[in-house]
Amino acid sequence: MSLVDLMSMAKPNLKSRAKVFSKLKGRDLVNCFQCIKCTSGCTALKLLELKPHEVEKLANLGFVDELVASDILWTCVTCLKCIQRCPQKASPYHVIMALRNLAVEREVKIPEAFMKAVSQVLETGMAEAYQKIAKGTETFDRESLKLPRIGSPREGFQALFLKALEEK
Amino acid sequence: MAACVVKIGVYVCHCGLNIAGTVDVAKVAEYAETLSNVVLAKHYTYMCSDPGQRMIQEDIKKHKLNRIVIATCSPRMHEETFRKAAEEAGLNPYLVEIVNLREHVSWPHGGEPEKATEKAKALVRMGVARARLLELLKKVKVAVEKKVLVVGGGIAGIQASLDMANAGLSVYLVEKQPSIGGRMAQLDKTFPTLDCSACILTPKMVDVGRHPNITLLTNSEVADVKGFVGNYEVTVLKKARYVDESKCVGCELCVKVCPVKVPDKFNENFSQTRAVSIQFPQAVPKVASIDPAYCLRLKLGKKEVCGKCLQVCEAKAIDFEQKPEEIKLKVGGILIAVGSGVFDASKMAEYGYGRFPDVISNIEFERISDASGPTGGKIVSPRTGKHPKSIAFIQCVGSRDKRFHEYCCRVGCMISLKQAILARGKLGEDVNIYVCYNDLRSFGKDCEEFYRRARDLDINFVAGIPSDIRRLADGTLYFDVYERGTNRLLEVHADIVVLANGLVPNIDLDSIGTMFHAGRSADGFLLEAHPKLRPLESSTAGVFLAGTCQGPKDIPDTVAQASGAAAKVVDLLSAGEIELEPLKAVVDEEFCSGCDVCRSLCPFSAMEIVPKGEGKTAKVIEAMCQGCGLCAAACPSGAVKIQQFTDRQLLAQVQVSCKEPEGGS
Amino acid sequence: MKTAVFWGCRILTSQYAYEMSVREVMPKLGVELADLPEALCCGDPVKSVNDFAATYLSARVMALAHALDAGQLLVPCNRCHFTISEAKRSIEGDKKVSEKVSGMLAEEKLEYNPNMRLWHVIDFLHGFVGLEKVKKAVKPWKGLRLASHVGCQIIRYSDLGRVDNAENPTKLDELIGAVGAETVDYAEKLDCCGAHLLLSHVDTAFSLAGAKLRSLRELGVDGLVVSCPDCGLMYDFKQKDAAATVGVKLEIPVVYYTQLLGLALGIDQEKLGLHLNQSPVDRLLMKISV
Ligand SMILES: Cc1cc2nc3c(=O)[nH]c(=O)nc-3n(C[C@H](O)[C@H](O)[C@H](O)COP(=O)(O)OP(=O)(O)OC[C@H]3O[C@@H](n4cnc5c(N)ncnc54)[C@H](O)[C@@H]3O)c2cc1C
Ligand code: SF4
Ligand code: SF4
Repeated sequence: MSLVDLMSMAKPNLKSRAKVFSKLKGRDLVNCFQCIKCTSGCTALKLLELKPHEVEKLANLGFVDELVASDILWTCVTCLKCIQRCPQKASPYHVIMALRNLAVEREVKIPEAFMKAVSQVLETGMAEAYQKIAKGTETFDRESLKLPRIGSPREGFQALFLKALEEK
Repeated sequence: MAACVVKIGVYVCHCGLNIAGTVDVAKVAEYAETLSNVVLAKHYTYMCSDPGQRMIQEDIKKHKLNRIVIATCSPRMHEETFRKAAEEAGLNPYLVEIVNLREHVSWPHGGEPEKATEKAKALVRMGVARARLLELLKKVKVAVEKKVLVVGGGIAGIQASLDMANAGLSVYLVEKQPSIGGRMAQLDKTFPTLDCSACILTPKMVDVGRHPNITLLTNSEVADVKGFVGNYEVTVLKKARYVDESKCVGCELCVKVCPVKVPDKFNENFSQTRAVSIQFPQAVPKVASIDPAYCLRLKLGKKEVCGKCLQVCEAKAIDFEQKPEEIKLKVGGILIAVGSGVFDASKMAEYGYGRFPDVISNIEFERISDASGPTGGKIVSPRTGKHPKSIAFIQCVGSRDKRFHEYCCRVGCMISLKQAILARGKLGEDVNIYVCYNDLRSFGKDCEEFYRRARDLDINFVAGIPSDIRRLADGTLYFDVYERGTNRLLEVHADIVVLANGLVPNIDLDSIGTMFHAGRSADGFLLEAHPKLRPLESSTAGVFLAGTCQGPKDIPDTVAQASGAAAKVVDLLSAGEIELEPLKAVVDEEFCSGCDVCRSLCPFSAMEIVPKGEGKTAKVIEAMCQGCGLCAAACPSGAVKIQQFTDRQLLAQVQVSCKEPEGGS
Repeated sequence: MKTAVFWGCRILTSQYAYEMSVREVMPKLGVELADLPEALCCGDPVKSVNDFAATYLSARVMALAHALDAGQLLVPCNRCHFTISEAKRSIEGDKKVSEKVSGMLAEEKLEYNPNMRLWHVIDFLHGFVGLEKVKKAVKPWKGLRLASHVGCQIIRYSDLGRVDNAENPTKLDELIGAVGAETVDYAEKLDCCGAHLLLSHVDTAFSLAGAKLRSLRELGVDGLVVSCPDCGLMYDFKQKDAAATVGVKLEIPVVYYTQLLGLALGIDQEKLGLHLNQSPVDRLLMKISV
């Protein structure tokens, strides 16, 4: 997987860029000088061809729309090595997260599991569903393991969470 | 000048379009003419130019002007220029007032020409108000010591000392280490010519040792500084070296018998020396010294212990009774040349320096590459002692890095090029050599050519910086690096990784900066008086800067700055007396009660309290006063004022700041 | 001071062994944990969708802990710990965010307390309980060679203030040392388990986990110690999938640190959930009992 047709990305969109900068509260996290350190260490490079330095530069030059539409955004494993080691204190990780948010706002198709997690939180308060653990012939769950019952979210939580999701 | 009518000339400078592009200069001049006492107002493209200055001078003569207001750039730029021009035309130079229309108006208010013009008018009005009250002042002349203190004996201190000594000044060179030489003494070859560092440095060190005008104080540090330009009193603390410098002949018999092994800092701890040692073979002075932290006898403080060196020294130079010595010096000028440190790469933990023995710093590489170093010049892995099959250099370690130092160290790229070339020469063609860089900076004279030479030698230049360095199970080093030119991830195995650590501010700069009133720039180095026009001096009169204490630089730049600063010192002291600005505190003894507030506050020790009749009064030591104004602000009875900045003058200015006084003033 | 505990989704829904072992170990070291009253999410998966909503969820977790009158919050999951830390920073560093969050919390009569101290199991044991106290409480073994995996998000990024040094974390190793085991250094120690990719690139996630386990197999360690439910999920639960993806036999016992500590404190294996681990922990248990 890689970025959509890089060669045709001729027109930067400065409005989209401004949007990303405002999500990132300024340009500090996009202030990359292309040393490539992040990409050299990026967990998602070898297998998925995520190049954080490229994300930084594309965002900085305003090639945001293409990035937002690209699958590459969803390859970051959030290992945080890029932000930890960046000599300019830029953060490809945060740029990627801002772009993901923008993709959601623009209703671009995003990996299903993320939306599923959100609706799960809405329904049950948690992003995951209870599982039964099988070992050998036996299966275990919270009850059989005598683990405490977890209460459901209070009334009113759903409305508040939905309200939070409206914020841009 | 007898009390007479105040006649002011106002001159508004366009500064090309710098001011005139925003401010309506003609309007400002027109406005200035309406102010009382203003005889004429003019505007002109460049007031600081020759015709501009001449225009002012002619007006002074023709119209008998006795005050000049120049609305132009910052007084830091051209106040001196205009004062001189006025003086040449027969006007006391302190009757010139500068109004800053560039830094204070046109530059910050570029988008608002109308408001800017209004502000310019207000500032001119204020300048005129103050000019009316300016007083005639005279420069102060003081005699100076024709002696110089040089702090730090690296190549900067050495070069400057020799230049000044040759020009006839007496030089005291104070060096913290037992020998002079500094960083350069540790280097193998030097870029971009590859001449051997010791070969070009040693003769200069010897010259310093022999020069009749140079007094060398090694193993010493400055403890205290008092006084002012032309007349400093300096206290130097000479630590005990437990060897009589006048007797020691440098035979090193003592070193051979000393039983205590000590890590050799000069060799970056790759080898050991003894508790009594000579810092390095070419040391000047070539005199042994004993490290009290390691010497058995000194540590225990017992006479019976060891003493092997004492027994073996034929010159009878060993002296366990030696005490530290305080030496008082009187000097007219000071040159700081304390050099820099090298970045401690263990702070950048992703590269494993300090944890992985084969990750070394560039200064450590110099030592293992040097023929007189711990490996006899053989480049070997510190872990295995074997020749490496692959060496990688990583650039910008600690520099261009907001986590540590944001500046570019200016030498790291060239150092790695040099070391890569040396490695190729010593290890042959079969060895893989990588230089991982972000931008390769080879801007100096002959440096780009040097870069080309490195490429000719098949050194792999990798445009990309690795994220981390790993130690594999077999102990060798490994890293991934993404290469910008090829869009490939290179997997690099290396037996030695050399980190291009940058130069960093000397840790002593805190105390040195305070002691000498020398400011620091944001990067932590010593601050020059002006980044472009006064790079050789600090902002404290009489204190000059040279070498890497002022900012990272290579040897050619260091030597150039050192010779330049030396020439400045010679210029300052050669006449035997200097003129000081009269912008100093004066005490009106009639109002002074001798309360002592001013004396206790003065940061330059320029106030004294003296008896006067029955009581006491404060008195200014003119030569020490820097005119900072602390005393004037603090004096409870208003008895102290600062010339050229009197309350009357400043209040007049403030009064007209917001609105025009009715009916003029 | 009262200590609340926030488990996060992954522990409560599948990594029961981690939960059981923490619940067993803490009282033995003199710490009582107070559970939060309802099912909650720290906001991590929501972060990719809407940053503010994630911040709100984290804030709500902290506010519920505050409502229990707890002064500190134990968060055994790396991802939750990171998400809450970032939320804390964004609330405390941005007035607009803080006002919005407080307003929303107020609707439930909840309150954000900036002094709520966050802990992960690692720094809680190492710093709050204290390494020395742990050492005194256990019966140490000899001759165990273990590898540790601290995970990404409790050590990176340093500017956020993390649980241990980002490039040379030692606390988990020291805690392992406290139970008498030796830890081996290995090149991939700081590499990511890949769990986040389970949401989008499952195969890659397994390759990442497999790569690390393969190296550990070559090193011949007795086991791998983890302290995060994501890492536990990847290295223990999904070890077979990882092995299939990288095409080698792995068979490395993987345990949570609190399970290991529990054993050294003399707690029953089953109480520590060791029967739930999917990796061959029996080998490790055998070595221990010898
Ligand atoms: C690894 C490495 C390789 C280099 N290679 C080259 C090269 O090939 N070519 C090149 O042009 N440049 C090279 N340089 C740069 C070069 O070393 C410097 O430009 C030069 O040494 C600076 O000289 P200096 O006199 O300013 O400082 P230094 O050489 O650092 O000398 C400062 C002196 O002051 C003394 N001192 C410090 N504090 C005090 C104190 N408080 N009181 C008294 N004395 C004090 C020190 O002991 C020292 O003797 C290299 C630098 C490094 C680190
Ligand atoms: S590490 Fe930082 S400066 Fe370097 S390329 Fe990546 S984002 Fe840019
Ligand atoms: S956080 Fe994402 S972009 Fe950054 S190094 Fe890790 S995987 Fe790559």
